[in-house]
Amino acid sequence: MSSWNYAVTAHKPTNVTHSCVGNFTSPHELNLIIAKCTRIEIHLLTPQGLQAMVDVPIYGRIATVELFRPYGEAQDFLFIATERYKFCVLQWDAETSDLITRAMGDVSDRIGRPTDNGQIGIIDPDCRLIGLHLYDGLFKVIPFDNRGQLKEAFNIRLEELQVLDIKFLYGCSKPTIVVLYQDSKDARHVKTYEVALKEKDFVEGPWSQNNLDNGAGLIIPVPMPLGGVIIIGEETIVYCSATAFKAIPTRPSITRAYGRVDADGSRYLLSDHAGLLHLLVITHEKERVTGLKIELLGETSIASTISYLDNAFVFVGSNYGDSQLIKLNLQPDAKGSYVEVLERYVNLGPIVDFCVVDLERQGQGQVVTCSGAYKDGSLRIVRNGIGINEQASVELQGIKGMWSLRSSTDDLYDTFLVVSFISETRILAMNSDDELEETEIEGFDSQVQTLFCHDAVHNQLLQVTASSVRLVNSTSRDLCHDWKAPSGFSVNVATANATQVLLATGGGHLVYLDIGDGVLTEVKHAQLEYEVSCLDINPIGENSNSSQLAAVGMWTDMSVRIFSLPGLDLITKEHLGGEVIPRSVLLCAFEGVSYLLCALGDGHLFNFLLNLSTGELSDRKKVSLGTQPITLRTFSSKNTTHVFAASDRPTVIYSSNKKLLYSNVNLKEVSHMCPFNSAAFPDSLAIAKEDELTIGTIDDIQKLHIRTIPLGEQPRRIAHQEQSRTFAICCMKYGQSSTEESEMHFVRLLDDQTFEFISTYPLDTYEYGCSILSCTFADDSNSYYCLGTAYVLQEESEPSKGRILVFAVEDGKLQLIAEKETKGAVYSLNAFNGKLLAAINQKMQLYKWMLRDDGSRELQSECGHHGHIIALYVQTRGDFIVVGDLMKSINLLIYKHEEGAIEERARDHNANWMTAVEILDDDVYLGAENNFNIFTVRKNSEGATDEERGRLEVVGEYHLGEFINRFRHGSLVMRLPDSDVGQIPTVIYGTVNGVIGVIASLPHEQYLFLEKLQSNLVKVIKGVGV
Amino acid sequence: MGSQFGDWPSFNPHNFSQLRPSDPLIPSELTAATYHPTHDRTSAPPDQVIATEATNILLRKFYQHAEDKFRPKRSASENLTPGHGRKQPRGSPKDAIS
Repeated sequence: MSSWNYAVTAHKPTNVTHSCVGNFTSPHELNLIIAKCTRIEIHLLTPQGLQAMVDVPIYGRIATVELFRPYGEAQDFLFIATERYKFCVLQWDAETSDLITRAMGDVSDRIGRPTDNGQIGIIDPDCRLIGLHLYDGLFKVIPFDNRGQLKEAFNIRLEELQVLDIKFLYGCSKPTIVVLYQDSKDARHVKTYEVALKEKDFVEGPWSQNNLDNGAGLIIPVPMPLGGVIIIGEETIVYCSATAFKAIPTRPSITRAYGRVDADGSRYLLSDHAGLLHLLVITHEKERVTGLKIELLGETSIASTISYLDNAFVFVGSNYGDSQLIKLNLQPDAKGSYVEVLERYVNLGPIVDFCVVDLERQGQGQVVTCSGAYKDGSLRIVRNGIGINEQASVELQGIKGMWSLRSSTDDLYDTFLVVSFISETRILAMNSDDELEETEIEGFDSQVQTLFCHDAVHNQLLQVTASSVRLVNSTSRDLCHDWKAPSGFSVNVATANATQVLLATGGGHLVYLDIGDGVLTEVKHAQLEYEVSCLDINPIGENSNSSQLAAVGMWTDMSVRIFSLPGLDLITKEHLGGEVIPRSVLLCAFEGVSYLLCALGDGHLFNFLLNLSTGELSDRKKVSLGTQPITLRTFSSKNTTHVFAASDRPTVIYSSNKKLLYSNVNLKEVSHMCPFNSAAFPDSLAIAKEDELTIGTIDDIQKLHIRTIPLGEQPRRIAHQEQSRTFAICCMKYGQSSTEESEMHFVRLLDDQTFEFISTYPLDTYEYGCSILSCTFADDSNSYYCLGTAYVLQEESEPSKGRILVFAVEDGKLQLIAEKETKGAVYSLNAFNGKLLAAINQKMQLYKWMLRDDGSRELQSECGHHGHIIALYVQTRGDFIVVGDLMKSINLLIYKHEEGAIEERARDHNANWMTAVEILDDDVYLGAENNFNIFTVRKNSEGATDEERGRLEVVGEYHLGEFINRFRHGSLVMRLPDSDVGQIPTVIYGTVNGVIGVIASLPHEQYLFLEKLQSNLVKVIKGVGV
Repeated sequence: MGSQFGDWPSFNPHNFSQLRPSDPLIPSELTAATYHPTHDRTSAPPDQVIATEATNILLRKFYQHAEDKFRPKRSASENLTPGHGRKQPRGSPKDAIS
């Protein structure tokens, strides 16, 4: 029973809603403060750019953020108000690097209609009061006393009911607000009020201005000496004050964000709905405003907030795309843009839809999201894995092997990087300028391929080639001694550690050598029945310089064997089965547990527990990591040993709680890897790809990696089809002709590897794509994409017409196979018992896939079910149908085969406005609603009466603070059949703020444990401002 | 026209002077350590826990009106200049602050 659920964030909100700049962390430091829904980030401006200081979770959704400087303070305070009417004033304590709550409170009223246009929170420039507009017809004042302390708040009646914006005027002897409002005839005006703190009332202000632009929506207060305000409309911008009124026309646009550039308020950056950045200039002679000028600077992401930082750098925060750090240049570039984008900060929001796919078929889910809006729409491929941060790279083709070597035995760092090619060996070393340059080790044979290299005891280096084993003094770099392969035999594979060498020549000869001070001694020779394919003597026992065991992989019988050293006696033989040879073996230890790893030529990997004293192998397990041969190497990161499996799907193998875990690396095909811990690049890896050698550091284990596919239009729905290896998306493209904005909707087909558009099907005018599904039907082996649409006409409150289109992918093209008109919007489509289940306005409708006499196919209505306000979200399991209604929570329907009918089985009687539903198991269903909550309901099969059975019982409730648009079953981590993690069912969700989260259905004990942990954590870690 | 694009304000000329732009096609992540406060100053001092006064706006109007009625000397203060009048304490200075 999935009643015990654990909700956790996998990717924090990335959607930037507010930003401001000020001296927050110190009087001399400039900070950028960014609000991302439930989090505040504090950044420091430095010569190197923005430096992240802290990320502060807030218990609430942030509605307003303002920096202000109370009287007598040397640095700014931060005012934050949340959507649920809590506020706090935070101060930074530079000594302890802590955030201190100076004031806080609840500013909710028992009665009041929340404002339609969002909450407004403003602070008087002279710090006499904080003004809040939270409910229609009320203006709340939190006064400051003369010591900068806050006093009890009070409400003032505000006559204007449809308020669009309120700001404080600068330079007024009494605190004065400017109110932009709409009257009952939809005309827009501004009005000023003085706030009389003593009388707790408004006094008519110094000026007002009637009949502004019908699209006026934003007030910009202008500091002294100019004073007054700028009012931004859709077609005009006006400057207003008691003494002046100046207006300029603009190109029609909706301005969403502004940022003041100069302290005197003479220049402003404006960003519109198309992401165009303008500079607005107030021209003035001394203190008299003479006019306004507006200039286009260039294009950015569509901004929700703009903060001028310093030295022509500007932060553009976005809800709809990536936020950016831009620079304003003096001269335009070739395209006439003054804007240079220097950094993009990833934003997944709004995630409108997503799907979970396993494109590499590795048992690891990847999330592909429909992200962003308007021109900033994109697909984002989110996958969990380990990142390599590239430090340096050179073009080098045909690398056959790599090893790092130290210049003396007790050197901390590696000096040499030996790179082997098919017919030569090159040695790279760090020079004094920390650059890799080619060097020589005279004692090495550089005219041939190197099979193996290693540091050896007594300041020696070892090279194994096909013909010899060479021992070289690491100081003089001269050859001390060599062992030559018997004539007629060449060394095929070799391995070594600091004191031992094991090699195999053709004919199945296994040779063991001892490394002494300047001498190599052949200790033992063994003749095996088949050729040896791979070897390892990595010391994992007590002696870190020598091994008592050797692992050997064999051709022909496809076995892996353990031999004792130095005797070369066979201890264990394990047949791997199948016909693929082992290509790499490795003895390794994680968390004190010894393992033998054995990788095959087809990308499979075996792991065995290894008993070090007896050499026995046990607990055999097999996983698939890729499709190409794997090469295994150990490396260390932060003093822990991990294994790198180089292949077409490079993977890091590590251990947690004594379990082996596998994690993808964010690299394509890697042929070889070796650790390269140099002074300049500590803890780095050298990685050989097809034609490149890269030096990089490895990220902390496990992180989400995001790849962006910009679309230039807004994706709304996505589905993946395994058979055609494609994605289909519903897209909306905004076009702007000279007079009108137009909107076109498309279905686009994308290749699931390259993410290129391969086919497009345009929808009719006014036709929206509402749902998309990849499915098969009964008695038809083909896969189809089904699309549900709606004709959205301005005169209709609900669409009365839509279509279901059935496409096949033929030769990479979308081919329309069948079409069915519907009497409403097709909000959801599900594959259901070999049929198609559609949610059409208030109705569920089931369609059969019928073969006509002429061989063509059609959708034929079978049965339906009425009884919803609007059936928006539908999931099915067996014969059960779970419906998320617009406002009536979750309903459970059942399909009765015999009667060919759909009937209601149970419902949740609460009034929840649903945003997503999912089925956790046969009895428990998960829902998300528009107050940012999630909940679970349970079917009551054992109820005594029909009434009881007909009720879905609420069994779980959780305030998430995020608006969920979609749930999908799946997991972001690699699921291996043998791990416990694989047994926990998980659901992934995506939200408007770009959060990706997971809901895991836990066993009750584990749930109790985590709940206890949570309640104990809360006792230690406190919230900020609560 | 060029003049207004120049002369961008500078608070500290060093800021961004050594910025190494990353590839703008690859979004970077501004990741900061999550703040986990364990100190006891996460709550405001008791006198700075703010609530809204309980009196209804209409009742407040009535009370103010009534107060005005029974305050015969009020006319005197009205004769003062507005600026002066604002600073005139009505009650004891302590009342004005709290």
